[in-house]
Amino acid sequence: MDPFLTSRIVSDILTGLTNGVIYGLLALSLVLVWRSTRILNFAQGAMPMLATYVGMVVFAHQLSYWTLVIVSIVAGFAIGGVTERVLVRHLYGKPEINPIVVMVGFLIVLEGVAAAIWSTTPRGTPSPFSPIDWQLNGRPIALSAFSVYEIVTALVVMIGVAALFRFTKLGLQLRASALAPEVSRLLGVRVSRMLTFGWILSTGVGTICTVLVASNFFTGLTPQVMDGIFAFGFIAAAVGGLDSPVGAIVSGVAIGIILQFVGDYVNSNAIMITALIILIISLMVRPNGLFTKSTARRV
Amino acid sequence: MNWTRLKRREVLSTILIAVAVAITSLTTSSVRDGVAIGVMVAVAIIGIATLTANGLRATHPVLARAALTVVVLDVSLFATYFFSAITNFNLAIGAAMSIVLLGLSFLTGASGQISLGNGAFMGVGALIMGMWANHHTSTPIFITLLIAVAGGAFVGLLLGLPATRLRGPYLAGMTLAFAVAFTAIVNSFSSWTGADAGLQLPTAVTPPHWLSDFFSSQTTLLTVNSMWLADITILVTGVAFFFMANLFASRTGRTMRLIRDNDVAAELVGISLPRARVIAFMVSSAYAALGGALWTLINNSVSPSTYSLALSITILSLVVIGGIGTISGALIGGVIYAYSTNVISWFTAHTGINPQGNLANQLPGIIFGGLLIVTMLFAPMGIVGALRRLWSKRRARTAG
Repeated sequence: MDPFLTSRIVSDILTGLTNGVIYGLLALSLVLVWRSTRILNFAQGAMPMLATYVGMVVFAHQLSYWTLVIVSIVAGFAIGGVTERVLVRHLYGKPEINPIVVMVGFLIVLEGVAAAIWSTTPRGTPSPFSPIDWQLNGRPIALSAFSVYEIVTALVVMIGVAALFRFTKLGLQLRASALAPEVSRLLGVRVSRMLTFGWILSTGVGTICTVLVASNFFTGLTPQVMDGIFAFGFIAAAVGGLDSPVGAIVSGVAIGIILQFVGDYVNSNAIMITALIILIISLMVRPNGLFTKSTARRV
Repeated sequence: MNWTRLKRREVLSTILIAVAVAITSLTTSSVRDGVAIGVMVAVAIIGIATLTANGLRATHPVLARAALTVVVLDVSLFATYFFSAITNFNLAIGAAMSIVLLGLSFLTGASGQISLGNGAFMGVGALIMGMWANHHTSTPIFITLLIAVAGGAFVGLLLGLPATRLRGPYLAGMTLAFAVAFTAIVNSFSSWTGADAGLQLPTAVTPPHWLSDFFSSQTTLLTVNSMWLADITILVTGVAFFFMANLFASRTGRTMRLIRDNDVAAELVGISLPRARVIAFMVSSAYAALGGALWTLINNSVSPSTYSLALSITILSLVVIGGIGTISGALIGGVIYAYSTNVISWFTAHTGINPQGNLANQLPGIIFGGLLIVTMLFAPMGIVGALRRLWSKRRARTAG
């Protein structure tokens, strides 16, 4: 049998792909918020984290894994909608540092509250899929049932979001209110409702990402589990361009694979440093991201 | 008008002299202490006299700022003599923190950029201080502090280069990534930085001779007596604040404010945006490094885990709560930081929260985060802004 599939390079690519779709999902949720409300949501990891803890509370009553997933996503929708209505609504039209500061405050409040209620010890969520790598001729391929589940879920979410934007009336309204709020309002689009829906959608995507992270046998759920993933997700979104969903996903996967190679061939400390260098270089070369067309900034 | 000014000045100096005479006669055990107190009082009186001189603020603003700095420094240094060791320690920690806050306040308030990485820049300064003090034990501490500042400015330059083309959210995210990466960077150079364990200052770090002679302390070791630390930190803080007050009012400061308010207009009058942005970023990281270096001095050691993302966020909270872009706001933030731990533990003790429990551990984060949101939504200019608004309202009422 060809040992190609079990070689070091292919393993790194497969592991990187599994990590990359997670970064891509978080980057996608950042892009969704950015496109609808022009806010970089620093609590984009913390809000889904709270939603997943809510799902965990239900899961503690011996229900199935899929109950956990559904409850978490519903909780994520609710948290996203309430946050937009209660907190974010007051920030439109303010100087651009105001929303940043408020969302950073929201991030540490959420992490603090979650740690106060559920403590900082990791909570495992046994998923129905085995995290043990498959074997080929006695050697492991860097793929397991769980990582296939991760990749497939991420793909389904990405395709679902794309389909929503492209083929539904709701998606058209979302795009219209992001591009030209005044015109859309005149044409009968309920822009304010669309903004709320943008946050609901994005927190939902973020929650799916967090549930996948939490179901991973090796990480589990902690209040700060999303901090690192937020950093990688932001880097992916910034490299791809905060306006470009496709860019977010592609650069998420690319960064996942590159960092896996760095981690394997250099060491684990180099991962975060490389990510930072990628971010700095890409921002210097294309400040608006690799996947966005350059546009003049409105004055 | 002249008369009221003169009268106020006379009353102030009389009170000060009376207090000084009383304290001197009550507390001095040696002639040297008496002389020291006498010098301090004289400096305070001269400073206040200069400060209250007619029209000085309008004609010689730099001199007025210098006089104010001297008076505040003088009174604070005087006070450290009477404070307990723990108060002096808190004072030193808070004073060093206020330097960091001032740096971020300048970056955000004057140039409109935002940084979530100033905790990591503090760490850069703290580690450089620790490394240099370990390798070159004979360097005077003020030189070591300057080296730490230079190191911080250099790292600020490296990270600030992309900042030249970035707008708010991107820069915030990039500095956040730096704060997250800081641990990894420290661990990569573990032979220098000591990785997680950090560094211990060699006990040979001593104050300059003239200083130890002047204080006639029992020990010449800098790290043993917290009064030394508080005094040195306060002195450095004073210099840093004086410099920043002038920078705020200078051409550079005005340039920054124009960029913050309207960058297109700034470019049209010939200001180089990239240059101004990099300078602001470098100043802010140099100030953060100075604060971190002072922390190393005060704690006698560096522990890299202190300089986490959480610290960066605390710094941002303190700047916002104190008042973005104000000098007094940075001082208020420093005081809040120095006493927040005490206040929060007092709060937990009086509300019956288990002090070892999860809630008590998370309380600082929840409180700072909550204050951050509330301040930004209801009083975006912080405590100083709210006070100023009250003050101008009162003045408007009395005038009309």
